[in-house]
Amino acid sequence: MDLQSVASPTGFVIGALCGLVPLIIGIRRRTFGPGLLGFLACLFSGFACNVLGGLPMIVLAVAVVISYTYTDRDDPFLSRATIEEVDFEETFGAMITRRLATLGRSIRVGLRALVRNKAGFLGFLGLAFFFMLTIFGPMVIPYDGEPHYYDRRQEGAITLFQGPSAEFPLGLDWQGRDILSHIVHGGRALIVTAVEAGVLTSVIAVILGAIAALVGGLPDRLMNAVANFILTIPQFPLLVVLAGLISFKDRFFLALLLAVLDWPTLMRAVRAQVLSLRERDYVEAAYALDLGLPHIVLREVLPQMISYIVISTIFSIRGAMYAIVGLVFLGMVPFTEPDWGVMIFMGRSQGALFSASAASMLLSPVLAVALFQLSLVLFTRSLEEVFNPRLRAGL
Amino acid sequence: MEARPDIQVVDSQSAALWKTLRRALTGFTARTLLQGAITIWAVMTFTFILIRQMPSNPVQIEAERIVREEQLSYDEAYSRAAALFDFNPDQPIIEQYVEYLGRLVRLDLGQSITSAGTPVLDQILQYLPWTVFSVGLGLLISFTIGIFVGMAMAYWRGGILDNVVTAIASILFGIPNYIIALLIILILGVQLGLIDIANALGRVDPTLEPGFTPEYILSILQHALLPVFTYVAATVGGWILTMKSSTIATLGEEYVTAAHARGLSQWRVLTAYVGRNAMLPLVTRLAISIGFVVGGSVIIEDIYRYRGLGKFLVTAIVARDYTSMQGVFLVIAISVVFANILADVLYGALDPRVRVGGKER
Repeated sequence: MDLQSVASPTGFVIGALCGLVPLIIGIRRRTFGPGLLGFLACLFSGFACNVLGGLPMIVLAVAVVISYTYTDRDDPFLSRATIEEVDFEETFGAMITRRLATLGRSIRVGLRALVRNKAGFLGFLGLAFFFMLTIFGPMVIPYDGEPHYYDRRQEGAITLFQGPSAEFPLGLDWQGRDILSHIVHGGRALIVTAVEAGVLTSVIAVILGAIAALVGGLPDRLMNAVANFILTIPQFPLLVVLAGLISFKDRFFLALLLAVLDWPTLMRAVRAQVLSLRERDYVEAAYALDLGLPHIVLREVLPQMISYIVISTIFSIRGAMYAIVGLVFLGMVPFTEPDWGVMIFMGRSQGALFSASAASMLLSPVLAVALFQLSLVLFTRSLEEVFNPRLRAGL
Repeated sequence: MEARPDIQVVDSQSAALWKTLRRALTGFTARTLLQGAITIWAVMTFTFILIRQMPSNPVQIEAERIVREEQLSYDEAYSRAAALFDFNPDQPIIEQYVEYLGRLVRLDLGQSITSAGTPVLDQILQYLPWTVFSVGLGLLISFTIGIFVGMAMAYWRGGILDNVVTAIASILFGIPNYIIALLIILILGVQLGLIDIANALGRVDPTLEPGFTPEYILSILQHALLPVFTYVAATVGGWILTMKSSTIATLGEEYVTAAHARGLSQWRVLTAYVGRNAMLPLVTRLAISIGFVVGGSVIIEDIYRYRGLGKFLVTAIVARDYTSMQGVFLVIAISVVFANILADVLYGALDPRVRVGGKER
């Protein structure tokens, strides 16, 4: 899976083709507005991530389009059908439609919750901005990686640093390269690695936490001991030591390393949640009704924890980015340009910290990291409302 | 003499507190200390093996430096570096470990490899106070601000104060501490010229004689100002937000309504009933944070050139000074373990609902 790909013209075509599906369904169901929105959504996500973005978006867009006109004939509150008209043997197609409509409705509710919290929506917009910047930015702004020597040096200047100008909105770095192009190109690897680390952390924590709570006994005690042990060692110094041990050819190993150091907190929370949820009446009722383990886990237990898990993932992403930039900042890992962390490191070692004309070299990546992290934290507010129906009902 | 009832109440309260504290201590002491000792030993062993797995060793690093600076052949440089240090890289790791453990039992952390002849303990004691002073002061200030501001926000929630401070706290909470440090230097120092950065870096003015002179103490405070301010700015948001939500939760408790109904003054309800209970989870967190004070903040100390334990650790890691690294990790592990024990005991003593001992009812 190539997450590092950028927007491309083929993606545009793929997105347009994918978008036809919700558009046609929308026209046939006489919901042009949602159909058109679905088309645009598919176009956008196909453009951004090729097939990987286009195909899942078809499902989501179709679900939303269907949910506008769908009425469940079996639902006594929504359907006007009489009992004779209801066919209790549901066909496969009808089941798919019903499932899609349910999904679409929850997407609409979720989106509304996303917009309602102002701070959270601001965070969402911030993340969307960085997403657009790193995905679509490279199409507009080519990477300026070669050092320039005399062609860009200003009259009488000692260094190649330059403040913002009309030609270079963020100025030039110590090798006379366009800082804006480095900001646009330098976020992708960092963000992808941080997201990988965050997701890996949650996956490890949820699996281990569930095992510890459900199996108990020796595995439980063992995992608790390991978690205690990891929490005792100060994370960052340990990371600095470990950074010397692993190869950074593949950024994935860095993400894995961060995840291995970060799982204990969430794992404990998941373990405690599962232990307490297991005893709840509705879970016992589900057992008694013999609804099967997948149903109990997915429909009864997980919805209670999903809010916490998602928010914890966001905070892990934030922590991972903190650690990665920090490692690069101290010069503890071999690095590859372009990268925000490397910009900060080079800016500092090239003396940009104390010179006013060179401040942009440091200020730009510093603000990029700060705003990205801030957006992440603000976004959790919206996520809380999306995943926690109790908070939604209160408003 | 007529005994004043309110003083008596306070006395019996504190006596009860002491009693619980003592019982919590004796009930657990043996088990907790043993557990702590095992954890410290495990961390020590783990880091011992880990740091020796890092590529290169102190002799090689020094040899490379000599090659770079004096243009010798590598073998020549290597033999010179090996003669410089009292460290044999070819000794089996298990032998090194047994030797180290033997010294450790006698509370000897060994000698630093790269600066031969200096005991690691002396080095640590030289750097530790600076870190504990700056990070600890920052922690205390931000905790205190967090408690009071968070409580005020919860009390007047929905007001202007609440909205403004919540926004500021979220922003501060969202930004990494080294970014705050860089922004302080870049914006306050370079762009606006409000702070004389060159004078504020380092930990003390090197031209002054150490001693209890006013200039020296003033210089210490002046140089600690930026790091402490950064620590406060980076952590205060978290304390404020936690205290606010904790206080809001407490305000909804029935005993608070009951206290109001009994006609107690607003102030008394707020301090004795709401504040104390809302602080409970934060006190535990404070205790845990104290453990990490010792490790300091590696990056902040690097930015401000504040020579504390974090900076010392990074220098040791770069030079592969095994014994110094080991010593710092050991000191950090000990302080974290003890802080965790302190957190458990404190929580049990402060909150009678949770008896850590689990024996008494």
